[in-house]
Amino acid sequence: MKPWVAILAAVVLLPVFVRHAIATEIWIFAIFGLGLNLLMGYTGLLSFGQATFFGSAAYVAGYLLKYYGINLFLALGIGVVVGAASAALVGYLCVQRSGLYFIMLTFALNQMFFFTAYQWTTVTGGEDGMPGIPRPSVLGLDIHGPLAYYATVAALFLLSLWVMQRIVESPLGKILKAIRENELRAEALGFDVPRMKLVAFVVGGAFSGLAGVLYAMLFGIVPLEAIGFVFSGNVVFATLIGGSGSLYGPVIGSFVFIWLSESVSAMWARWPLLLGVAFVIVVLFFRGGVVEAWARFWTWRAARRAPDRVRIDAPR
Amino acid sequence: MPLVRTERLTKSFGALTAVNEVTFEVEEGSLHSVIGPNGAGKTTFFNLLTGQHVPTSGRILFDGHDITGTPPHRIAHLGIARSFQRTSIFPVLSILDNVWLAAFARQASWRGLAWRPADRYPELTRRALDVLGEVGLGEKAGLPAREISHGEQRQLELAIALAATPRLLLLDEPAAGLSPDETQKMVTLVRTLKGRYTIVLIEHKIDVVMSMSDRISVMHFGSVIAEGTPDEIRRNADVRRAYLGGIVAP
Repeated sequence: MKPWVAILAAVVLLPVFVRHAIATEIWIFAIFGLGLNLLMGYTGLLSFGQATFFGSAAYVAGYLLKYYGINLFLALGIGVVVGAASAALVGYLCVQRSGLYFIMLTFALNQMFFFTAYQWTTVTGGEDGMPGIPRPSVLGLDIHGPLAYYATVAALFLLSLWVMQRIVESPLGKILKAIRENELRAEALGFDVPRMKLVAFVVGGAFSGLAGVLYAMLFGIVPLEAIGFVFSGNVVFATLIGGSGSLYGPVIGSFVFIWLSESVSAMWARWPLLLGVAFVIVVLFFRGGVVEAWARFWTWRAARRAPDRVRIDAPR
Repeated sequence: MPLVRTERLTKSFGALTAVNEVTFEVEEGSLHSVIGPNGAGKTTFFNLLTGQHVPTSGRILFDGHDITGTPPHRIAHLGIARSFQRTSIFPVLSILDNVWLAAFARQASWRGLAWRPADRYPELTRRALDVLGEVGLGEKAGLPAREISHGEQRQLELAIALAATPRLLLLDEPAAGLSPDETQKMVTLVRTLKGRYTIVLIEHKIDVVMSMSDRISVMHFGSVIAEGTPDEIRRNADVRRAYLGGIVAP
């Protein structure tokens, strides 16, 4: 319950302290991270191609928004479906292999999608991106204003977080963790491991797709980078910093990552250096990211306080 | 009719024939042991039965159906469960979850797979706790599996296999690496399973095997060189040679 209170507070307070566009981007990126975390954190599949699903959904829904003026629900639905479908395609090929080959496949397929978008200039606009994506109003409500759009995205983020919580606390969540821990035994118990990995891909892809559409509507453009490998790397990066394998890790990671990249970059052009340092610290000392660091801090404090209490009680 | 039957089952890895034309039957409700020196092909034979390896030739019949070449996860659904010689558990998950997953996998329907909270399957949780109680881990159910001793992990290994309510239980050296005390406990435990499950047991401790098996098969260099009741095996000259051959002078 406590994390939910903190997140609700953050949702309310964030637009007070941060520019609305950045605040919105934080929650979009968090949705993106939630999807990756199911793969990377829970199933142990390091996918370096999440932008494939993010970008595909952004292009398809963006195109339909721009030229056919579809409504918001349809756009979001199409984003989710395109994200899931592209993930099913990519996932089907990738789950046949494991380890390094798996990672390289996700990366290579991402590059394939990237170059398709790059070359297909009549539709995607190539390097210039696909501009002019509208934000349709929903149920008579205008979400053009930055704050209105922020509220929409925040609501969808909370919904996504709730759905992801249900998933990781369901039997599927346990099965995916079991696959991460010991694939051979999971199979011997009667779980079709490749099929379960594919399910993780499709669910992760659906989340990425949702994030992709929201991203396109936020900036009114689908930039080519949205389907590029740097984007895929960023979400891995953010999730690792926040803490992969815990539900709230990617949310914290997204906050740290977007906030650093948007605010510090304005002051200091070499800001990725900071991210690099953060990354090294995480990998060396806190494999569970900020979430683990936080938990360790509290156990450390509790351990330091415990002897004090003994001393106070002793004279009695 | 035997519950499981193999016909001239063979598995080769390149030039090595690990399992060589093994024909073997287990009667329902019996405890059938497989013994033999290290490298005789016992574990490979198990891996064939559970689908981890695909046989080079030969057939496996389970309950009258040909299951040769069926992948491991399907074999599990038919009701064949195994324990591993080298402890194979889910270290970070709780002991309860280790066993709970085995019980879940065997359910006929996976309704609520991705949506229903895992703690709202009372019948599965009860089943898992029962099994843990049976192997003597009831009080440690909440601990992560990596935090218990090797002996307890062996008990967990067995519990995971039992939680699947198997029709055929394959136990691969359940007492591997245990102290004499722990071995005694494990033997007592396996003895309580006898009669309730159809069991195939791989074991090195000959006295244990002799005292509790209904039938024994002896493997040597991939082949079954003898099969019979414990008394028959004790008297068999080939078996003595296989076990003592390297030591006794000609």
